[in-house]
Amino acid sequence: MMAGCQAAAHAINAAGGVLTDKIKCQGFDTRGDPADAVTAANQMVATTSNLLGVLGPSSDEANATAPLINAASIPMFADTGQASFDHTSLKYFWRLLPADDVKGYAMALYAISKHYLRAAAVFGNDLGSQSDLPTLLKAYRQLGGKMVVTQQIALGQPSYRTEVEQLLAAKPQVIFTEASPQADATYLSELNQLGHLVPIIGTDATIQPQWLSAVAGAVGKNTLAKYFVAEQPYAPATGPSWQVYQANLMKSGVSKPAQWSTDSYSMSDYDAVTIMALAAAMAKSTNPAAYNKLIPEVTNPSPGAVIVHSFAQGLAAIRAGHKISYVGAAGIIDFNQWHNSTGGFEIAAYLPNGNLKLVTGITAAQIAPLIK
Amino acid sequence: MFLQTVGFGIVTASILALAAVGFTVQFSVTNILNLAYGDVMTASAFVAYVSATAGLNPWIGMITGGIFGSLFSYLLNRFVYTPFIRRGSKLFVMIIVTISMSLILQNVMQIIWGPNFFTVPIPAGSSVRFLGMIFTTSQIVIIAVAVAAMLGLHSLLTFTKLGKAMRATATDPELARNCGIRTKRITDLAWLLSGLLCGLGGVALVIDLGSFQSTTGGEFLVPIIAAAILGGVGQPYGAMLGALVIGMATEMAALVINPEYKEVVAFGLLIVMLLIRPQGLLAEVASQKEVAA
Repeated sequence: MMAGCQAAAHAINAAGGVLTDKIKCQGFDTRGDPADAVTAANQMVATTSNLLGVLGPSSDEANATAPLINAASIPMFADTGQASFDHTSLKYFWRLLPADDVKGYAMALYAISKHYLRAAAVFGNDLGSQSDLPTLLKAYRQLGGKMVVTQQIALGQPSYRTEVEQLLAAKPQVIFTEASPQADATYLSELNQLGHLVPIIGTDATIQPQWLSAVAGAVGKNTLAKYFVAEQPYAPATGPSWQVYQANLMKSGVSKPAQWSTDSYSMSDYDAVTIMALAAAMAKSTNPAAYNKLIPEVTNPSPGAVIVHSFAQGLAAIRAGHKISYVGAAGIIDFNQWHNSTGGFEIAAYLPNGNLKLVTGITAAQIAPLIK
Repeated sequence: MFLQTVGFGIVTASILALAAVGFTVQFSVTNILNLAYGDVMTASAFVAYVSATAGLNPWIGMITGGIFGSLFSYLLNRFVYTPFIRRGSKLFVMIIVTISMSLILQNVMQIIWGPNFFTVPIPAGSSVRFLGMIFTTSQIVIIAVAVAAMLGLHSLLTFTKLGKAMRATATDPELARNCGIRTKRITDLAWLLSGLLCGLGGVALVIDLGSFQSTTGGEFLVPIIAAAILGGVGQPYGAMLGALVIGMATEMAALVINPEYKEVVAFGLLIVMLLIRPQGLLAEVASQKEVAA
């Protein structure tokens, strides 16, 4: 979070600040625990003067702290994926990242685009893995696919051979999956031994280095590269907005800035701070209660709005009396009535050298009809 | 499908048996509930990984892992557990000590190896079909190692003086000492033997899993202890039977009910069995044998 915040602060301060006020990023350690997070949120609200907005809360603490921050009338840009915020009534809650359950739609769309009409769903029985499953089942059925087997596997088992045999008997063309690295590694290596792998579409949890190293070790890098793709939020590391982000990140004083260059979460944090600053500039007030309602006005595409790719460009357009639409480093931002900007997804393939390759994109417009 | 599931159960039971028998041998002689056992399994797997990646035959890596497990367990007892026993620490204190050792071992492994996953480079080999069951070559080797270890242990306990001394020490250490058995030495040997099975079990587990990390062995401690308890605490033959029951129950539950509930079924079965036979499956049989011997 600090990387994106400091990059944005650098850009905003270089352009004169928000109504002459300089942006400063301050961390509050929530320890990833709801109980600690409530204390940290209360402390933040009580002790921080001129608080423009909040980056967070994240998944583990969002349910506990989002209402507190909302009650204090502080805009927050959450990075929680919880589906409970899909239709939130919290006035100060904003989300730039897709909700966990939206991933299921992207996975189903990609499978159908590849003409995989018989699928198996292999998901861990933990809460995190289960969050994607309902929308995947719904969307895949809606798009004409048939889920021939749905397995909720117990994690931490020495073997999944019986489950694998059941899956093979159902003859799926594709496997959707999210389970722990260990469970998926064992499951897929046993599938490889007992029959053969079929194309695998994972969630963004499966595209993490730990999962990839576990599964690539178990089934072989070339085998994994042949069969595996996964979805993840689309944040192209290209384009004018990203170039501004990258330039400011490098000058921001963040330690080892290059590691955050392509990180979609850091880009979203950068965009969040920029959006709040632009909304404050438009409201001519840094009072959150005044600028909060203008947030969609500086982002959402609308007829006649000037497309801007940075705070400086946006500020100049606002001063010239134009409507603006800020395109973020992570892409186009279009908040719905529940303050969610779903964004698109990309399907990425694993390469034997450990890198990822963009296969295709799934846009928010493609997903929208499925959500209704 | 049923026979295939039986085959899968045999593989799981073989791994569990190696680990559970080692666990129960050590417990029967020393009376220490060693909750760091799973982490010693992981450490042994790392030794196997290092030797295999250094160019040794991967199956030699299994032996080096077993030897490491044996020596490490011996040293763990000598330099960590024994000082507490000498001070008269009770069972609860010893449990806390073993939990602490488990956490220390996990963290040390994480410092050395990081949070990454590793694979002992043993190819699974071709599939072999036998009586409707399917095994890979590596699984056949694992089953063979387990059977050999069980037969070896049986021979040791039944036909050698050492085995009889171990059984005597397990039954009544004071009486054994009064009969001239050097129980301290027997305890050392029990840790070495238990550690060997622990190391072999750890390497077999990670070969079968496909990949592992610093917490893998600890995550499998519960079914290992369950197999040991089901068979009758401190009963090597009971642990073998317990491993078979747990291994079969989990696979059958996945086949008949729902994979999600395979652990629930296995442990539900354990609770029911213990309600009916609190002493475990073979405890009575074993005690009769002790008298006969």
